Amino acid sequence: MTAALLFAQVEKVATPKLDWAATAPLLILCGAALLLLLISSLTTSRPARGTYAVITVLASAFAIGTAGVLWARVTDAERGAFTTAAGALTVDGFSVFFIVVISLGIALSALLADDYLRRENLDGPELYVLMLLSGAGGIVMAMANDLIVVFLGLETLSIALYVMAGFNRRRAESRESAMKYFVLGAFSSAFLLYGIAFIYGATGSTNLGDIAGFLNANTLEHTGLLLGGFALLLVGFGFKASAVPFHVWTPDVYQGAPTPVTAFMASASKAAAFAALLRVFVSTFAEYRLDWQPLIWGIAVLTLVVGSVLAIVQTDVKRMMAYSSISHAGFILVGVQAATAQGVSAALFYVLSYTFMIVGTFGVATLVSGKGDEHHGLEAYRGLSRRRPGLALTFTVFLLAQAGVPLTSGFLAKFYVIGAAVDAHSYALALIAMLSSVVSAFLYLRIVVAMYMTDEEGAEPGPRVRVPLGAGVALGLAVAFTVVVGILPQQVVHWADRAIPVVLASGR
Amino acid sequence: MIAQNIAFGILAASSVLAAIRMVTTKNVVHAALYLVVVLGSVAANYILLAAEFVAVVQLLVYIGAIVVLFLFGVMLTRAKLGHEGELDNDQRGLAAVTALLILGILGYVLVDYFGDDKLPQLNRTHEQLNATRGTGAVGNAIFSTYLIPFEVVSVLLLAALVGAIVLARRD
Amino acid sequence: MLLNQFLLLGAVLFCIGVYGVLARKNGVLVLMSIELILNSVNINLVAFGMMGGDAAAITGQVFALFVITVAAAEVGVGLAIVLLIYRNRTTVDLDEVDLMKG
Repeated sequence: MTAALLFAQVEKVATPKLDWAATAPLLILCGAALLLLLISSLTTSRPARGTYAVITVLASAFAIGTAGVLWARVTDAERGAFTTAAGALTVDGFSVFFIVVISLGIALSALLADDYLRRENLDGPELYVLMLLSGAGGIVMAMANDLIVVFLGLETLSIALYVMAGFNRRRAESRESAMKYFVLGAFSSAFLLYGIAFIYGATGSTNLGDIAGFLNANTLEHTGLLLGGFALLLVGFGFKASAVPFHVWTPDVYQGAPTPVTAFMASASKAAAFAALLRVFVSTFAEYRLDWQPLIWGIAVLTLVVGSVLAIVQTDVKRMMAYSSISHAGFILVGVQAATAQGVSAALFYVLSYTFMIVGTFGVATLVSGKGDEHHGLEAYRGLSRRRPGLALTFTVFLLAQAGVPLTSGFLAKFYVIGAAVDAHSYALALIAMLSSVVSAFLYLRIVVAMYMTDEEGAEPGPRVRVPLGAGVALGLAVAFTVVVGILPQQVVHWADRAIPVVLASGR
Repeated sequence: MIAQNIAFGILAASSVLAAIRMVTTKNVVHAALYLVVVLGSVAANYILLAAEFVAVVQLLVYIGAIVVLFLFGVMLTRAKLGHEGELDNDQRGLAAVTALLILGILGYVLVDYFGDDKLPQLNRTHEQLNATRGTGAVGNAIFSTYLIPFEVVSVLLLAALVGAIVLARRD
Repeated sequence: MLLNQFLLLGAVLFCIGVYGVLARKNGVLVLMSIELILNSVNINLVAFGMMGGDAAAITGQVFALFVITVAAAEVGVGLAIVLLIYRNRTTVDLDEVDLMKG
């Protein structure tokens, strides 16, 4: 039988129309991951220093470039947002915004990882491969127009992250963090899945556009199933965003994971969680806003309070930053809770600013920790201003930005989310956010004081700190963004304003 | 109809009993074998729900691969079979209360929402069923409507593959 | 057959799985309990699918297939992590894996 005859007998499957430009960022990231694996398996000698990191950074840069092209297309008044691949992915300003945020998270974390891996004798392409695949999963979550796709994106993100947390296999803390993250992560995604099943049962579809259409057109007599679905979905998303009470893993995992991986977790993974939360709740479930807003309100209050109060009693800087990242999640939730265009835009601005701040913060922690990834106590930062004035100043910028000091992006981010809450008449929440910001300012100042003030004569000098090129570039970019956007935020605000998620019916 | 209900009753009872034994037994290997019973009953439930492809995949992937993986895991982490040290932590009471509480809420929600809604009767021939919601239709859907999720799953498996090797290899 | 008989079976298995995750401290057994939860969700998905038309039925089945795949990947990575812990500590007791506190 000839090949032609064979093919003639096969019934053709009607594959959906795929917009290649829209999926280009995903293809680039996954392609780069495969390329890294190929290079490492085909070359016999070790490639030049930093090859893997450079490829990762270039891939992220290309992804951002293609996102720029997409941005021009989706913000064009005539063309606007669209769905592709049979309504599985939405391409709108929101998707493009998160493609950029997550790609930035990948690139900056890869720059930090470059020297770290050599320092810890872990050099190889695997961490970068996992980072790229995990980031691609996060982008899938942000673009998803179907709860199935949300779930699969989340799982891709998570499974790669479980491994990345345990990447430094020789450190007991790293192994332990992988175990804890895995058990709690798998548990929480099972809840998320059950929630998706409930939403599917209540609305008869998993497509976000169809769900929104159903909820707008029908008034449900019993809302129990839907509300149960909301609650279960919030468990899953809250876990990834490390919102209280689903935060128990955060301090241990942030502390135990290799520091560049922690940077990735706090930036890209958290951004992806908020992307899914915003698209699914604020846009898709807009009709049932009054039902889920109280839930988010409660979670936001707990997150703000627990994050800022528990951060103060810590002595390990990575652990402190873990709690502070919990309280930052609370601030972003304040924007989500408003459930207005202004709130979403404020949350987006926060996510982008926070990405740079936190990667910078953990970048400094990577450098200060020294070989073995051990020196994370506050004492390692004593007198850093004398040993490494530049690094100390950089860290001060990140800390002040996290504290919300004016002239930094962190201040504006907090200002916008609180403004959105006030405009949505959530006065109590706005007040709690402001108070928790004051409380957590103490924590950041404590580190700054340690770096500048306590350098008496005779005090034991901390370990020597080296600033390698890759990490230097990452820190420089992060500082530049934090300061420049802190002074001239208009352009970023403009982007965030145009990146409100839309939900389109699948049309199938 | 009655035959189906009797079948469901047997399957439900066996899966629930086996699941309870799985989470209470003192022997890891027995737990894996109880898991097989649960998975098999669930597969039979899929057949009752006219989802025969899912049922077959359940048998192949879960019982054929995942349970074997579990048994490997047990074998590699334990030298001797049989009774070992304590497998439960000291939060059994709390765990039971939590589980029952969740069950109460879920049960209430489901009964409240669906009451005694009946599953629709499908009076179709095998060919019709295959074309509309059987294996053929599922295969078509995976490569058309669910093409992107399918591709995402392949990325996920790649990540899991690389990840498992990274973690499990020796230095 | 009622829809609820499948849904309630799913809910019961879900809760047994939750109990297992919370009450077990052996890593492998916790993993098994998570598998139980994923299975219970699959029953729900396929049963909900039966309630709608053909498109809904296929959505439910395809979703269940994806969940089975994800479960397999999760077990692979999970066992790798358990083995990693075991090789270094000779224990799979999750309560003993607790260096970091505070």
